[in-house]
Amino acid sequence: MIKIFFISVLLFTISAFPQTDRSQQVEEETSWVKWGKADYRYEKPNEFRHREYSFDTESVSGFIAKSTANGYWYFISDLDGDNCPYRPSCSAFFVQASKETNIVQGTLMFFDRFTRDYNIYKRHEHYPRVKDGHYYDPVSLYTLDESKIDYIPPSVTVTK
Amino acid sequence: MKIVFLFFLLCITAVQNAQTGNVDFNSPDNIKKFADYLFCDKDYLRAAIEYERLADINRSDIIEFKIALSYSYINDYYSAIQKFSGIIKSSVYFNEAKLEEMKINFLNNDFAGLRSYFKNSFITEVDKYQTEGEKLFNFSYLFTDDALPSKDEFLSPFDFNEKEKISSFYDWKNEPPYKDGTLAGIMSAVIPGSGKIYVGEIGDGIVAFITTTVFAFIAYDNFKAGHTTRAWIWTSVAALFYAGNVYGSVAAAQVHNAKITFEFNEGLNVYLNKKNYYITKYEFCD
Repeated sequence: MIKIFFISVLLFTISAFPQTDRSQQVEEETSWVKWGKADYRYEKPNEFRHREYSFDTESVSGFIAKSTANGYWYFISDLDGDNCPYRPSCSAFFVQASKETNIVQGTLMFFDRFTRDYNIYKRHEHYPRVKDGHYYDPVSLYTLDESKIDYIPPSVTVTK
Repeated sequence: MKIVFLFFLLCITAVQNAQTGNVDFNSPDNIKKFADYLFCDKDYLRAAIEYERLADINRSDIIEFKIALSYSYINDYYSAIQKFSGIIKSSVYFNEAKLEEMKINFLNNDFAGLRSYFKNSFITEVDKYQTEGEKLFNFSYLFTDDALPSKDEFLSPFDFNEKEKISSFYDWKNEPPYKDGTLAGIMSAVIPGSGKIYVGEIGDGIVAFITTTVFAFIAYDNFKAGHTTRAWIWTSVAALFYAGNVYGSVAAAQVHNAKITFEFNEGLNVYLNKKNYYITKYEFCD
């Protein structure tokens, strides 16, 4: 009786073996891992809101703009909260505009953006949105270099 | 007990049997059947791989064409062009392959390549689809800034029921409703915000007018009251808003023009997609 049982188990094991997933045997040769602890992060990623305080600019325009923006961020914006409806925010827009062009043109671009900031009329028909709901309004649209303009319709959600 | 053993043996035999291969899945016939199934299931990448597994001797004209078509459908234009151009003249799908090549040039935005291909190769080599090729050739002018042919010449290959629509495309391209950036800037320099209104940004224009005039009035009022320092500060603010608005009006005209061009190209693409780039629908899966 016991013999028959063991023979049955042996035969069943032999028949079942070809069906098993033997990839674990070659685990060292592959990068595939069957089980592993997932590193979950519950933070809402927001690359558009990322603030870099360091002075990584080489131009004088960039340095002046960055100093102004850093002062604004440190003394006002970080305490006052995220109030700008656009991405990049108006201060980040000023820094980027000054870096891409010069301090005079960057300032004009900033004041134009500031004017648009006040206009709450039909903004959703003009600008695409980033994931967190802010309007996407990049510097490249306003440098007066038509080759840099990459128009994105309002129906699109911008991810990068 | 014996019954249990026999039953167990039967189960094992059944399991083993399920694993045995009585069918040769790698026979050319079965590979083709599987590839056809994948193709009709719109799994084009795997279909192309399966078709390519077939040795040259087992490949018919239709298989060569379907390989190329599969690459085209998954937007692998480089491989698709290679395959389409490899289809020889004696193939029953030679004409279709040449038209598909034109379509790929179109989808690749290689309009110069498309025109040169049409003039140097398509006209001379292809027996059918000359009208369809000419339509695509003419359409290519609508996507570039090159000089348009005359309207009659442009419309000649199109059917009567299409002409009205194509004519409107032609007219748009000939005189696009762009806004002049310089004019927008001058208008905003004269009346703050008017340049923005001219390019269609009415809300921005009104806001620009209000901010500039309010700050200018505050500056004026301070001058009038003898507060010179404050007056100059407000004058600077007003001047920056004013200059920013003039600059912004020029930029807004450029953005407006980019938007107009984008929408026009989208309209063309939708139209061409609807017409399937003037390529007759294949009936491989019916």
